Amino acid sequence: MKPDRRHWLMVSPAQALLVLVLFVPALYVFWLSLTRSTYGKSPEWAGLANYATVLGDPYFWRALWNTAIVVNTIVFMEFALALGVAVLFAGWIPWRKWMIAMVLAPYAITEVVSVVIWKFMMDPYGGPITNALASLGLPPLDWSVEPSHGLALVIVLSVWHHLPFTFILLYTALLGIPRDLYEAAQVDGANAWKQFIRITIPLLVPAMLVALVFRYIFAFRIFSEVWLLTGGGPARTTEVLAVYLYRHAFRYADFGAAAATGWLMLLASLLMGAWYIHLMYKKMFRHDAS
Amino acid sequence: MTPPKPLLNPRRLKKWGIGMLRMLALAAVLLWSIFPIALIVSMSLRAPRDILSHGSLWGFSFTFQNYQNLWKRWPDFFTNLTNSLWVALLATALTLVVSFLAGYAYSRRSSKALTASAFFMIMVRLLPPIVLTLPLFPAVNWLHLNDTKFLLVVLYCSFFVSLGVWIMKAFIDQLPRELEESASMDGAGLWQTLRRIILPLSYAGLISTAVFVMVFAWNDFLFAFIFTTVDAKTAPLVISEMVGAIDGVDWGILFAAATLQLLPILAFVWMVQKYLIAGLTAGSVKG
Repeated sequence: MKPDRRHWLMVSPAQALLVLVLFVPALYVFWLSLTRSTYGKSPEWAGLANYATVLGDPYFWRALWNTAIVVNTIVFMEFALALGVAVLFAGWIPWRKWMIAMVLAPYAITEVVSVVIWKFMMDPYGGPITNALASLGLPPLDWSVEPSHGLALVIVLSVWHHLPFTFILLYTALLGIPRDLYEAAQVDGANAWKQFIRITIPLLVPAMLVALVFRYIFAFRIFSEVWLLTGGGPARTTEVLAVYLYRHAFRYADFGAAAATGWLMLLASLLMGAWYIHLMYKKMFRHDAS
Repeated sequence: MTPPKPLLNPRRLKKWGIGMLRMLALAAVLLWSIFPIALIVSMSLRAPRDILSHGSLWGFSFTFQNYQNLWKRWPDFFTNLTNSLWVALLATALTLVVSFLAGYAYSRRSSKALTASAFFMIMVRLLPPIVLTLPLFPAVNWLHLNDTKFLLVVLYCSFFVSLGVWIMKAFIDQLPRELEESASMDGAGLWQTLRRIILPLSYAGLISTAVFVMVFAWNDFLFAFIFTTVDAKTAPLVISEMVGAIDGVDWGILFAAATLQLLPILAFVWMVQKYLIAGLTAGSVKG
């Protein structure tokens, strides 16, 4: 059936919001990235100078490198953990509904509070985890001084916060695998490990793809956790791209460089997502030929 | 003669061992997920001198002193909580209306142009919010919308409308079209059909969408951090200020504030858990 004017009318509020609040500003950022501008000065054309400045800035490369390490570690650690928990929950579990509620809990917590929690538990002077480590004879995590420790804490915090998302995607997909496949494999004499490798993993691939790509896209934006935990310090060693952008835009008022960073960031996440979005889009609108 | 049965048959022993391992793993998962949250709530009820003590985690005094201190030292925090509530409720309401209408249109009609606009909707979801704060900041100042709840509502809605439409389309796709056909034979118009038939049947999708927007709007830090200064400040922003207070962190007050911020939304998520799971699945897998 052809859409008529009423259907366009129904779609238009959603589209209007997206165009006005997201799309037009994104284009404006692009234009901004080609100009030199700061407070109280009208932008003047600068060509690709901002991109050259940003790409020649060692702090940018540090931020990019940190982002790459942090994002990859978060996504894959979280994925492995979530897969383990999903498999555990697919078997027999007492009080299943309550147990799932417990696993979901971190999803409801704001980044700010999760930073508070982990900052407290890891407090070098008497935080519970620090104490526990000390009683095992281990040194405390020096996250406020040592850059790699700071980023490690960001990773732990982020995995804690987002595990429910990945878990639910994998868990519901696991429940969707028909039981008789396993029964047939059992008759053929496949042991549990073989069943996992030959049946579970291949059938889980679509859900795994969804989980990975979504988490990649969202992890790439990481800002609050880093900003609130280390502020990018000491000496800008723990900055990630979003923090770098924020600092240049709202602290140094260098809008051109910040905008260029924004487009570089966008480009990176688009490159990661484009292929997958294409697949998903085909899946979503395939059945629409009516 | 049959051989005597061994007391502990190895097969049963193995099964028992695996069962034990599973329960241990479950305990570890629970500890990881819920212990940090339980810690915050229990610490908020401790006398300030008992927090961060080198003593045990368990034996402690029970008091509401931290909440009283919060009330005295940060009286505005309760206004900020109310701000959070209003912003979350309004953003949710707006997103539901907009997503329901668009989700229905995408589910029931198609054309090249409509499909292209749906594709566009998925693409803009890739834009990192921090990149957009940059151009929005001067625009917002120019419109005098800085530090208003209205602005936050519009921002939260815009960032979740594509997920909302996606979820609503997936849910409405499951409703048989015969419903509308028979309604139109009875002479009902499009709006009447929507209101009387589609809307009541798609409540599961609506609740799923609501969970996502509500959790995001209630918890967001980034937009509140950049776009609010005094009047429209939300609770997470103020909690972040407590962490960075110049005169050192007062953990007791901080935990009291965090508890007040997290308990309502945690209770909400638990209440609508079923819909959260359905929405996540519809929003990503079913497509």
